[in-house]
Amino acid sequence: MKIGIPKGLLYYKYHPFFMTFFTELGAETIVSEDTNKSILDLGVKHCVDEACMPVKVFHGHVASLRDKCDAILIPRIMQIRKREYICPKFCGLPEMVVYNIPDLPAVISEPIYATDDKRLYEWAKEAGRLVTRDRNTIRRAFEKAVSVQNEYDIGINTLSYEMKVALAGHPYNIYDSYSNMNIVRKLNALGIGIITEEFVDEEEVDSEVGKLFKRPFWTFARNTYGFLATAYEKKLCDGVIYISSFACGIDSVLIELVKERIGDFPFMVLKIDEHTGEAGVNTRIEAFVDMLERRKTYEDNVPSYGQCVPCSQGSF
Amino acid sequence: MYYLGVDVGSVSTDLIVLDERLNVKDKIYLRTRGRPIQVIQEGFKLLREKYMDEEIHACGTTGSGRSIAATLIGADVVKNEITAHSTAALEMDRDVQTIIEIGGQDSKIIVLRDGIVVDFAMNTVCAAGTGSFLDRQAERLDIPIEEFGDYALKATTPVRIAGRCAVFAESDMIHKQQLGYYEADIIGGLCEALVRNYLNNIGKGKEILPKVFFQGGVAANKGIKKAFEDALGFEVIVPDYYDMMGAIGAAIIARNAVRKTGRTNFKGFGLADSTFVSKSFECAGCPNCCEVVRIYENEKAIGCFGDRCGKWNTSLPAQTIA
Repeated sequence: MKIGIPKGLLYYKYHPFFMTFFTELGAETIVSEDTNKSILDLGVKHCVDEACMPVKVFHGHVASLRDKCDAILIPRIMQIRKREYICPKFCGLPEMVVYNIPDLPAVISEPIYATDDKRLYEWAKEAGRLVTRDRNTIRRAFEKAVSVQNEYDIGINTLSYEMKVALAGHPYNIYDSYSNMNIVRKLNALGIGIITEEFVDEEEVDSEVGKLFKRPFWTFARNTYGFLATAYEKKLCDGVIYISSFACGIDSVLIELVKERIGDFPFMVLKIDEHTGEAGVNTRIEAFVDMLERRKTYEDNVPSYGQCVPCSQGSF
Repeated sequence: MYYLGVDVGSVSTDLIVLDERLNVKDKIYLRTRGRPIQVIQEGFKLLREKYMDEEIHACGTTGSGRSIAATLIGADVVKNEITAHSTAALEMDRDVQTIIEIGGQDSKIIVLRDGIVVDFAMNTVCAAGTGSFLDRQAERLDIPIEEFGDYALKATTPVRIAGRCAVFAESDMIHKQQLGYYEADIIGGLCEALVRNYLNNIGKGKEILPKVFFQGGVAANKGIKKAFEDALGFEVIVPDYYDMMGAIGAAIIARNAVRKTGRTNFKGFGLADSTFVSKSFECAGCPNCCEVVRIYENEKAIGCFGDRCGKWNTSLPAQTIA
């Protein structure tokens, strides 16, 4: 049995779990290629128009696997942390994909509640049945998959540069270098290092998030807000670049929350969509880096000007 | 001793010659019409009548076509538009605190404090509310874009027009026209819509303090200037060379760079006579299938663009990127 795993959305964060689980069950796995032009084209062709780019890209990955496997994994991720949810497009992802792409093989779409191992195992029992009937094999594969996932380190923290930018956004926007037009390499080429959310402790995230007037509904929002607030407070970076998919609902709220928290600290939102011309992104990155350099030279001589005013008062 | 600045934008290509004291000696404004190479050649033909190659002591490029322009002319610096525009504005007035720049395809806000850029924003992936949008509407109304501003000033009761999206604005405008509204009021409304869109979108959350400089091609439009002043409640200054600020900035930054390096890479005005051919091909190296374009000057390859991985780009002598 050959299981297709699309390299889109939260693949970047959770692929060790899925890969290990299916391999341990005795299935063969095939992962789609890195995102590229033909995958994006396939995605745009199959997906509904109003979806965000990462969802379109995911459709492209599924379409590219269609004739290469016996079953495709379309993770229906419902929850990663207790009392928090993730983007609703993930909950309906299997339906969106199945009704948009004709002639798909079997689809593994059981809901995933990853709040604790016990609930996650419910997924494994259902998903594993497709490969084997043996409960013990499923249990062993699941335990192995969880331990491999727990040991997996993702994240970027470059130390060899004088200046550093906190690179924030949903994981698939950070780690899919086709979608973000190779921003990591572009920044490094300009002499800028990068730190991502994985390098901030969970306790610090919780403590920052705890100061909000209401707990965040979205896990993405919690992670990013906690990361940026901590990075700002502990001076882990000289500025923030936020990669956001055009029309992302969560980001529209999150960006305002972050702005309010970090005041006049350098912050740039980079909107990405289906564009392949790089001039727009290059201009923004270069200008941002110029600004950071000038601010730094200036602030090294004079105390920083002004004071933080919440953006609700019309001033950033 | 002169400094040359070239700003290759989506709509216009501007060439500027500054003297040693940074006074403007010459300015050339040409429509890019999607042919950056030919337009630069056209500009150089005009300039070489007045200047010798040796007189140009530094040259810089900016604008969305800055890389191709830099390869062509041998630029000392290739600079993004934000830095170029703010450098030019600060050279004219150290007290500038906000720059509103609306060009053909981009619109920007730059916030400056004590002579340094502290924040900026550009329009997102969509080009609504920029010069091309106005161009298109002027064309639809059959009014020369140069007269657009005068029409707007004649408006007595500007009509409200949806400004979020060019397509929305167009349908809203057609509906108002069909009801028989006075043309000037519609144009006045359009200017207000554009300003509203700018302030709510790009200017959102930014502290807009005077002095405000209004630069870029759209600053020629008196209607927009007035709409900005009405919305902000204070004067908006349109500098003398509002449509040349990018090029001026590039020239100044190039001068500073050459002061450090001691020599310019300027290739001379001779390129006006060269034959440039661009050949494009689809790279088969990976599934990205990048459309790579290679520029030949008199049959010699001088530059390559469009590849994501840099495989073709670096196969030629490295260009200086500042």
